[in-house]
Amino acid sequence: MIHQKGIPMKSVDESKLREIFGDNNVKTDPSDLYAFGSDSSVHHAMPWAVVRPDTTEQVQKLMAYANDALIPVIPRGGGSGMCGQTVPIYGGIILDMKRMNRILEINLPDVYCRVEPGVVDDDLNLALKPHGMFYPPTPASSRIATIGGEIANNASGVRSVKYGATRDAVLGMKVVMPNGDLVTLGAHTRVEASGYQLHKLMVGSEGTLGIVVEATLNFVPIPEYRCMGIANFDDLSHAGGAIGAIMSSGATPSMLELVDSVAIKAVNKTMNLGLKEVAASLIFEADGMVKEAVDYEINKMKEICTKHHGSDIKTSYDPKERAKIFMGRKKLFPALSKYDDNLSSTSLADDMAVPYSKMAEMAGKIHEVAKKNNIIMTAYGHCGSGCMHTKILMDTNREDQWASAKKAITEIYEYVRSVNGTTSAEHGIGLSKAESFKVEKADSLKLLQTIKQALDPNNILNPGKLMQAPEDWVTATGLRYAVHN
Amino acid sequence: METKEKTRFKHLEKWESTLSACIRCGYCFEHCPMFKYTGWESDAPRAKLITAFGLLSGELEPTKMAADKIFNCFYCKRCEAACSSGVTLTEVFTDAKKDLVEMGLKGPGTTSVTYLNCARCLVCVKACPHEARFHGEDGIETDPIKCQACGICVEVCPAGAAKIENNFGTGREDLIAESSRFLSTHASAKAIVFACNWSYFPDLQASRLPESETHDKDYEIYVNMCAGRLESQLLMAPFLNKAWGVLVASCPEDECQHKNGNTRAKKLVESLKSTLERVNIDPARLQVVEIPAGDKTLFQAEIDTFIDRLNSMGPIR
Repeated sequence: MIHQKGIPMKSVDESKLREIFGDNNVKTDPSDLYAFGSDSSVHHAMPWAVVRPDTTEQVQKLMAYANDALIPVIPRGGGSGMCGQTVPIYGGIILDMKRMNRILEINLPDVYCRVEPGVVDDDLNLALKPHGMFYPPTPASSRIATIGGEIANNASGVRSVKYGATRDAVLGMKVVMPNGDLVTLGAHTRVEASGYQLHKLMVGSEGTLGIVVEATLNFVPIPEYRCMGIANFDDLSHAGGAIGAIMSSGATPSMLELVDSVAIKAVNKTMNLGLKEVAASLIFEADGMVKEAVDYEINKMKEICTKHHGSDIKTSYDPKERAKIFMGRKKLFPALSKYDDNLSSTSLADDMAVPYSKMAEMAGKIHEVAKKNNIIMTAYGHCGSGCMHTKILMDTNREDQWASAKKAITEIYEYVRSVNGTTSAEHGIGLSKAESFKVEKADSLKLLQTIKQALDPNNILNPGKLMQAPEDWVTATGLRYAVHN
Repeated sequence: METKEKTRFKHLEKWESTLSACIRCGYCFEHCPMFKYTGWESDAPRAKLITAFGLLSGELEPTKMAADKIFNCFYCKRCEAACSSGVTLTEVFTDAKKDLVEMGLKGPGTTSVTYLNCARCLVCVKACPHEARFHGEDGIETDPIKCQACGICVEVCPAGAAKIENNFGTGREDLIAESSRFLSTHASAKAIVFACNWSYFPDLQASRLPESETHDKDYEIYVNMCAGRLESQLLMAPFLNKAWGVLVASCPEDECQHKNGNTRAKKLVESLKSTLERVNIDPARLQVVEIPAGDKTLFQAEIDTFIDRLNSMGPIR
């Protein structure tokens, strides 16, 4: 195994790991390593060892050792990343942070909480609920995603249109640097102008700059009122027009989701929901502490949908009715996975963002590219924050389908960049999206590498990701499928 | 993207496309008793599918350690209910077990075993809902493919010879120790709740609260897996440690994964209520409630009702 900088790797000193973490928190058997070689992406690679810290000191000791021995260290949360961020393509030690799972403090008067990185998002929200508060960036994978992983990927979700992404909720953090030093970044205050705001740099760095061992997070009150609505559109461009109009009208949706015709058909086919098969549906929501204010927001969105030829418009405050409205969107993820026994749902070009005015065109482009390349793709997403999701449904065991998928992805990203969109809105880059990322950020790649070099001179933290990812993700990394000619 | 060499997993082979269909979202983690106990992702259902793929593709050698990953399963099937891709995980595991057994790798994992003090009374053979226990050449044996680790044999064995050695925190001694620790360290403790699976567990799943949030907790929930394995000693132990009451949650009448685990639990509770009455303890302090899989709201409501009832009764004098 050759490190990408050309330095031959030394083997891992297992006894050193056992000394730091204890026998019960070190795994080196291939049966464990194999499982830790995967996440929720298409990639797979074998690590050399997995360790599970309980304390910051253990993380510091590991980094001091790994930095000296030039061993890659790959921090890992829930393993729900969709782009291969935690896949150890150069081997190394997986640093499984799930055992550092303490909620350290819920400070109501100062409106922040302090948590360790292994705390699961849903658990944090369960803990905040009795205090009438919630942590809003919550991605769809909140039942498994850890706060550390969400910070690493700047995760966001359906409510980010109003409440922001992880970066907006992080006030400060404690970070172990690649040489083992512990630094405190940010503050416990809502605003800070004291220098470079390095905690914000850590958010979205995909475990390549430092290891977050504690995070200070902002939280917000659970709204008293929530009203959800749905509007159907016979033409995708009309739905697109409504999105732009809502976002520029001054309305503040707490959710604005687009579901396209392919998605609606998929949900009807697998879940038998009997949804009206239209070109697109928009699901919108407003929330707040005062009913009249929520009414105002929701009526504004209704009016705009009507003006843009939306039909079958209905809204409701009732939780059961809201659940019904959201059902099609909620069931989409499993529906795409169950769409056809011979097709697998893959996360490839799955979370690009484009300007509001291009959302409908983007969805149309996805349909066009899918048809041309003989694969199934659907367009849905958090259009209120400009995020478009898509899944590629294909026979992952057929080599020719991978070639088609690759072609489709390239075409889609070319379009995204041509309209000033971005490669990833919320899942991050990892390996799968590095190709487009490198083209999109071509004139700042050197700058990114300079930052990486300054913070991690030996390149031991999650090497081979983002700007360092191999040129061709299909051939440069192991795929987790049995691909036949 | 090379075609990977196949090993000799003839039963597992038919699941190749299913193993690709798993999108590896990990939504199965939160319900899995293995993952809950060990905290290692490599013990979670998703990892078992990854292991099965590795064995099938030849990327992973069929060793005892790899086989244990497959054999360590309680067949509660909550991973299947949570699966985004509709994968019937336990059917995949069962076929993997068939291949592994043919290679001489037969667990035991969570499979029940028989100790030498077995009197060969055949009670366990009759009670086993999966027809896994039989009288073989070496006395009472367990078919490692059929056994689903419900633990009913452990509960019925009069000699204590049926055991699940790898019980992952669900064994009687573990649960007694854990519940005793809670009762002795929380002045506010009133009740112990035993639940048959994690899917309706309403508390934090994989994180820890600060002491300030838990010090006045009045109950704790312990997951024992199938209610059919509950034993008198376990249900009575909290009363010896000054609990005000014990609540048992099982699956509804026709929804037990192990055929009759829930009805067994009900019978046991009924019999123990008589015992409580005989020693002048209100039998309402021991209750069994039926909770459909995944219904956290109902479970929480039942717990709250039970605590209210205990509050009206006060401590046992």
